[in-house]
Amino acid sequence: MRDDTILLGAVAYDPKVVTIWERIRDYFRTSGVKLDFALFSNYERQVETLLRGHIDIAWNTPLAHVRVKRRTEGKSVSLAMRDSDRDFHAKVVVRRDASIKNVADLAGKTLAVGSRDSTQARILPLHFLKKEGVDLSRVKLLPFDSDLGKHGDTGLSELDVLAAVHEGRAQSGTVGDLVWVQAQAAGRVDASKVEVLWTTPGFDHCMFDALPAFPKALADAFTVQLLAMDWDDPQHRPILELEGLKAWVGPREERYESLREALDAIDGW
Amino acid sequence: MDERGELAAAAAVAIDAGDLALGGGLLALVRPALDLLEVGGVLAVLSTSRGAREDLPSWCRLEGHAYLGSEPAGEGIDQHLIARGRLGIPRGAREHGMRLPERRGCVLAADVLAAAPMPARADPSTGFAPRGARVEPSGPAYPFDLLERDRVAPPEIAALYDQAVGAQWDATRDIPWAEVGNHPPALESAVCQIMTFLAENELSALYVPSRFLPRIHPAFAEVAMFLATQLADEARHIDVFLKRARRAGGGLGISSATTSRSLLSLLELEDFTEAAFLLSALGEGTFLDLLKFVEEHAPDAATAEIARRTRADESRHVHFGLAHVRSALAHDPGLYARLDAAVRRRASTLHDAGGVPSAIQDALTVLAAGDTSPSRIARGHDAFRALLETMHEKRVKRLLVAGFTPAQADEMSTLHTANFM
Repeated sequence: MRDDTILLGAVAYDPKVVTIWERIRDYFRTSGVKLDFALFSNYERQVETLLRGHIDIAWNTPLAHVRVKRRTEGKSVSLAMRDSDRDFHAKVVVRRDASIKNVADLAGKTLAVGSRDSTQARILPLHFLKKEGVDLSRVKLLPFDSDLGKHGDTGLSELDVLAAVHEGRAQSGTVGDLVWVQAQAAGRVDASKVEVLWTTPGFDHCMFDALPAFPKALADAFTVQLLAMDWDDPQHRPILELEGLKAWVGPREERYESLREALDAIDGW
Repeated sequence: MDERGELAAAAAVAIDAGDLALGGGLLALVRPALDLLEVGGVLAVLSTSRGAREDLPSWCRLEGHAYLGSEPAGEGIDQHLIARGRLGIPRGAREHGMRLPERRGCVLAADVLAAAPMPARADPSTGFAPRGARVEPSGPAYPFDLLERDRVAPPEIAALYDQAVGAQWDATRDIPWAEVGNHPPALESAVCQIMTFLAENELSALYVPSRFLPRIHPAFAEVAMFLATQLADEARHIDVFLKRARRAGGGLGISSATTSRSLLSLLELEDFTEAAFLLSALGEGTFLDLLKFVEEHAPDAATAEIARRTRADESRHVHFGLAHVRSALAHDPGLYARLDAAVRRRASTLHDAGGVPSAIQDALTVLAAGDTSPSRIARGHDAFRALLETMHEKRVKRLLVAGFTPAQADEMSTLHTANFM
């Protein structure tokens, strides 16, 4: 018979991940739900470990999530996501002096892009640009593979993209809307030099994944406790701020289709 | 009219954001405008910015507001509609329309208190937020434990603060230091001993209230601010007493074990009201008579001015101590017994059967005598004995003002430390 401690995997993309999961573990303990966590250095290892059943839940990026879905032939169980994971978008930002009035004008220009395993800073913006009719072979890509294995979680490659566009090393770039909005709200964007050109269609982002064999009672205990975290609670708010959300919400599957299409097109599985 | 048109018509607030981009200042208009709305209230943003069109929906998503869409509102103008989300709404009523009165060029703390009264009980999770500010929820709880207005803040506290800030003086320049003059060695030595004693006691008066300051909830900031003036007063007194002791050929005298024991028993107090009572009402009250005695018998104008100025400050501290105790007693009948017990406890640990520390007793006698001839010393001794009588009578009067019965007042005064403070 299995231990009733839920073992959750997360990728340590930043030292704060330890703080986040220790606090969430302590918070779970207050209501009697036993939770422990294991940290991984990259999502590939985390996905393999989940598939072997060595962890119960994986806190996955969209790329890791669709891989788990495919490897389990759609049988994996999605448990929850952040409110901020719903309706994610990517942005194409441009220099004001680059004479780029629409996405077609990107032809012949340099486009800075994030890490090749970043859904929001590379995979999907390029996929959507292609669908929008942009001939990517005529665009000069300036890639920043700053955090490979972390699937763009660190945001480092997106900050590299923004810096390259600010400094004129690229006339344009692709970033997630989270990084773009936060950079603007914090006053780190020079609006006289850099502006947004285009917003991609929406897609969903991270997900807690479990295997079908994970006991439903434990899955329910996990989601009930997780979703009870409250932005206005002084104990919970610092955790939610660190993890980048205002509320945990239930799972939904329909907005990963574009990512699957994109991975099919670039043999990204 | 379609649904969005109805919402636009219902928008409670509208702003013209021109061509501002999200990262170019737009948020400085949008965020304060949303703050004017209740949850679900609709803001209309008129904008000619292409970037705002791209970014406002993303910003709303991340902040928990509902982006309701946009529609053309003229040539190149978008009208964006945003419904305020429910997260992070500050608590408390919005202050507006405040106009503090100006009285002959002055704006008084007492008028601030009247305009923004203190709550009966303060909320530890408002932290250092100034009273009257709206406070975002989910801030951490602070360790302030003096949370009851009636146990911390007498009604006249802001007026006392106004008086205190107007009465500050400068120990460097405001004393006629040139007029200290030369005195016979025995008399100068007596002055120096008195100054040593006064400085030692004032050091305790600097340290004792400062222990309570970080425990006072900032909703009662005027109490902390008054105590800050009191601490500044004590610092100045320490400074001026030590300067006088070293000004005219003397130097510091003796610190007695009796004084040291007495002051430690003040430093160890944990209860704010007990401390205000023992230090300010009884201790500093007794010092008023002591300083009056020094002023009357001072051998020079500088020493007299020092005693006069420090006494004026001390009388404010006594006023605060009495006001505090009177206010606390009015709201807590059980306090009589606790203060009585505090006086008895202190008396029993001090056992100062020997009376006033001998060094200060002798110095006060010589000061009042003016020289060391036996006949003058006899007069000085009488003056010292009369001082003890005066101190007792005045203490009893102050205790009656604070709300004690004559019998209680007489007994408490008798039990008061022979160290004066």
